[in-house]
Amino acid sequence: MSTARPVRIAVDIGGTFTDLQILDARHGRVVAWKTPTTPADPSEGLLTGVREAASRFGFALAEVGLLLHGTTIATNAVLERKLAQGVLLTTAGFEDVLEITRHVRRDIYGLAPDPFPCLIERDRRFGVPERLRADGSVETPLGDLAPLLDRLREVSPEAVAIGLLHAYANPAHERALREAVAAALPGVPISLSSEISPEIREYERLSTTVLNALLMPVVQRYLDKLESRLGEGGFAPRIFLVQSNGGMCSLRRAAEQPARLLLSGPSGGALAAERISQRLARPNLVAVDMGGTSFDVSVVQDHRIGLVTQGEVGGLPVRLPMVEMRTIGAGGGSIAAVDAAGRLTAGPRSAGARPGPVCYGRGGVEPTVTDANAVLGRFDPDFFLGGAMALDLGAARAAMEARIGGPLSLGTEEAAEGVLRVTNAQLAAAVRLSLFEKGLDPRAFSLLSFGGAGGLHATEVADELGITEVIFPREPGTLSAYGILFSDLAQDIARSRLYAADESQGAALAEAVDSLRAEATARLEADDVPAAQRAVEIAADLRYRGQAFELLVPWPEAPALAPLVARFHAAHRARFSYAAEGERVEIVTLRATAIGRLDKPAEVVPESPDAATKPGTRRIWQAGAATDWPVWRREALRVGDVLHGPAIIEEAFATHVIARHWQASLDPEGAIVARRMA
Amino acid sequence: MLGPIEIEVIRNALNAAAAEMDITIWRTSRSTIVRELLDYSTAVFDAEGRNLAQSARIPGHLNSMTHALRTLLADHVPPEDWHEGDVVIFNDPYCGGQHLPDILAFRPVFHDGARIAFVGTLCHHIDVGGLVAGSYAAKATEIFQEGLRIPPVKIIEGGRRNEGIWAMIRQNVRKPDLLLGDLSSQLASLEVGAAALSRLATRFGAAAVVEAGARILDMSEAGMRAAIGRMPDGTYEFEDFLDDDGIALGQRIRLHVKLTITGETALVDLSGCAAQVAGPTNATLASTNAAVMFALMCCADSSLHMSAGCYRPITVVAPEGLVVNARHPAPVAHRIAVTHRLLNAMNGALHQAVPELIPAAYYGNSYVTTFQTVQDSGAREVLVEIEIGGSGAHPAKDGVNAYASGMHNNANIPIEMIEAQLPLTVLRYGLREGSGGEGRFRGGLGLVREWRIDSTACFFTANMDRFDHAPYGLAGGGEAAKGALVLRRDGVESPILPKTDNLPLRQGDVVRLETSGGGGFGPAAARAPEASSRDARMGYL
Repeated sequence: MSTARPVRIAVDIGGTFTDLQILDARHGRVVAWKTPTTPADPSEGLLTGVREAASRFGFALAEVGLLLHGTTIATNAVLERKLAQGVLLTTAGFEDVLEITRHVRRDIYGLAPDPFPCLIERDRRFGVPERLRADGSVETPLGDLAPLLDRLREVSPEAVAIGLLHAYANPAHERALREAVAAALPGVPISLSSEISPEIREYERLSTTVLNALLMPVVQRYLDKLESRLGEGGFAPRIFLVQSNGGMCSLRRAAEQPARLLLSGPSGGALAAERISQRLARPNLVAVDMGGTSFDVSVVQDHRIGLVTQGEVGGLPVRLPMVEMRTIGAGGGSIAAVDAAGRLTAGPRSAGARPGPVCYGRGGVEPTVTDANAVLGRFDPDFFLGGAMALDLGAARAAMEARIGGPLSLGTEEAAEGVLRVTNAQLAAAVRLSLFEKGLDPRAFSLLSFGGAGGLHATEVADELGITEVIFPREPGTLSAYGILFSDLAQDIARSRLYAADESQGAALAEAVDSLRAEATARLEADDVPAAQRAVEIAADLRYRGQAFELLVPWPEAPALAPLVARFHAAHRARFSYAAEGERVEIVTLRATAIGRLDKPAEVVPESPDAATKPGTRRIWQAGAATDWPVWRREALRVGDVLHGPAIIEEAFATHVIARHWQASLDPEGAIVARRMA
Repeated sequence: MLGPIEIEVIRNALNAAAAEMDITIWRTSRSTIVRELLDYSTAVFDAEGRNLAQSARIPGHLNSMTHALRTLLADHVPPEDWHEGDVVIFNDPYCGGQHLPDILAFRPVFHDGARIAFVGTLCHHIDVGGLVAGSYAAKATEIFQEGLRIPPVKIIEGGRRNEGIWAMIRQNVRKPDLLLGDLSSQLASLEVGAAALSRLATRFGAAAVVEAGARILDMSEAGMRAAIGRMPDGTYEFEDFLDDDGIALGQRIRLHVKLTITGETALVDLSGCAAQVAGPTNATLASTNAAVMFALMCCADSSLHMSAGCYRPITVVAPEGLVVNARHPAPVAHRIAVTHRLLNAMNGALHQAVPELIPAAYYGNSYVTTFQTVQDSGAREVLVEIEIGGSGAHPAKDGVNAYASGMHNNANIPIEMIEAQLPLTVLRYGLREGSGGEGRFRGGLGLVREWRIDSTACFFTANMDRFDHAPYGLAGGGEAAKGALVLRRDGVESPILPKTDNLPLRQGDVVRLETSGGGGFGPAAARAPEASSRDARMGYL
């Protein structure tokens, strides 16, 4: 980064707030800012936030050298179906695969099912005369395209998705088709499955390709708007966007492959968790991000969060690498209710931002998890969101009494505590499953708690899991932006082909790995990454023959096979408790990640205040009685202060509960670390 | 006595235990039938064998496992014979199972020396021997032809593997590595479930876990009673038919339901069903109960906790010797057909009681196809697929095209995966136009699929129904299309019998399957014009 442009900004645009974290290399301090999101054109709120931060923290717009941008624009466009009107071209005879899906229904007992979501209807899916085989050889050459092209001119689509059977093994037909379509429909964006998600399994690849095609015009429009705002006041940083894999990409690549942005929401939090894991020397963390509607769990092992090869958005599979995460519908806005059989439930229905919890006084009438916390006295009604919102505790109490306490014959506070217990049990189950599916033991992990609602539940959830350390990082409300601030460029390249993982395939594999490396290097060159900052990582998806699910295994020794197979057996044993060393192993997909390292300016932690402050107190209900709990302001904490639970720590956008038997102190890195006492 | 909060917390934990067991099988199983078709289930039971929590997979499995475990405890392995570290497996339909490919495994959970629970899993295995690969012999007339019959045996006793049983299985099945691999993942799943239950007992105390179990059953019972209580008292009858048993061709098999609602209880009398048949289209009580319970449980509120408590207000009458309660040694491989049709019949009866809830008939059939390819080198590969059709139109909306409905819930196998692994080429996979029943609301469409044989030889086995008796419409809606199975050889098409064993095929042959849609609801004349024009535009008709 040039000295003339020493400021780096990470922006994470969410549904309600646009979060910023700013690092000024001149002094190394990292500061945070929040401004309302402008849904109609999120780049407007982004620029507003940058301007506000510039004036507040004393830098000039012309001094911003790098803007790292996390955005949910692609995700929201899919969820709200604000997508281009596209068509799908696929192998003749298979036009309905997109609608047929993979069959399995989720609501087993439902009598009135809805169809699975399908983004391109039957009258806009067209068959192409051609057929490839699984080994990439041609069974039927590409036939006469004239009737198809005529039809396309008639339909005049805004985007074209092309996904042919086995195109992962041979892209020739898709490419030839693109040329023909581009000539017939000049200027219309085209997505090829062999470029977007070149992996075996036709439905998942088609779904991803269709999403990409329909997003291209949407994301391009946004990027045009963003670029049109550059130049103002000398604001002309290099801009990169956050992808689902936790890496950044250039604007050009984002415009071509917008599907890579779809699951980028969790990336910032994951990057932050990895960085905190490094800085606090905690190699194993389970990171939980609890906001208004959801609870996201990710696992840091040996300082790294794993990637998975597939995710989904709004019920549509996205076959692209994404940060591994488990999400359940439990947040501050989750609605508590008693059903006809007398069962107390919390979530998954949510009051969302509007009307929100009853205590927000915006028309919510059903009690939520936030209301339960309010009823127990855990919030300062005059300092909620830093004093920005007054809380109506009376309304929260009345709702809790009428809808939970009454039907269950419990007192109002008992009912509120019950809602929290049921919620915490669900949160703990989600954490346990996340660790469990990897064969990991919660007791070997620290819990990293962030998001607006996380701190209220963290120590109690840890108690359920036998976890004895909870970490509350600085600025928990903008932590994703913090993670983005220290990220790198990363592009994933995949090639599917079934190989036996034995020496008979050695030469073919070596050739495939070479070609992947060459392509990765070419991508980095295209993005002007200097040679010294390039890295290429190879990995492979492997399975035992007969298995239908693969494990993603790093392959630093590629193309040497023995260490790969050994690592696969070990990974299989770690995750599934057995390895079948005598059985045939198959490689299904080869992967390369092209990494362009961005420099990492040193970060200076703010000093803690000179003078000690005494905590205030508040009456808080727990286990049948209201007692006075100490209430600390986070910014008043000093390294060396020791807090004994039960206690409350408040900051502008979060409240943390230190439960009984827990003890908390401020770490030199600025995080609060709470430990369970024996 | 536990409060409602503790019960909900323990209930969540029991669900989580079943989910952990489920993840274990999904992640560790070997065969495609388990992993890609997701043909397995996991559950947690109380100490008397009553299901408390289950992972949501296959309806036909879930509500059969209580019957299986209770039968096991009553007739085969009495409670005092279960010890720490024991695992009992069996697949015998005449000991509480459903059909031979489904192997059940149960393990007791002890805490401080007392049995507090059982955990169980059920997996459909790729092949358990018998007349044909895949063990769906359409022409079997005795259970002995259907494969290896495993009585209740301790495959693990006090934590030690009973190697003789493993060897016995290995010697009797076509794909022993896959079967034993899947069986191992069932055992791993039980271990995970038992650990979860022990954790719960340590935290809350064994007595609290047992009490919560009892209360959960009561809560489910209350939910089920409320649902039945909303149905008007009365007797409702309905019949539907299976085409035949594959032996006595064209002789239809009657499934008749006489449902009597009295207050909050339901009596389901199946005495009017056909006598058991010679071919494998028979069911034992585990299967029959599963279909009846499923039909009634679907009518409850969505918040109903699915447990054995739901079964309490329901009585099933099914005399022995009928197709719904077959007597040994009748073959039962295709018992799923009986349960599909029984569910169709149950729904026809329920439609009269709660017409606003019940959809028209779904395709009512598991389209099981097995291809055993044989290459010149002698290499053999087996593909088992289960295809689906369309769902029945609902009283307020269209049925769904190609929707896994009723008693099964399967995934399809990616075409690219099939072609990468076997010498088969899929020539076509699409919606079958015009296959949904007409009506004010249209039934969902079925599917059409074509496979071409690329190996020198191939043996084809099928076990299907609804080729003579179409899925019915309701309230004046039309019936859906019947199924079709066709061989194209040298350009000439000829029908394949829907119940076929080991039909020899050769390179270049094409097999086409057309599956049924769902029935329509309400008179077609009442269909909204915009819905009709959309159907036309989409080519659904």
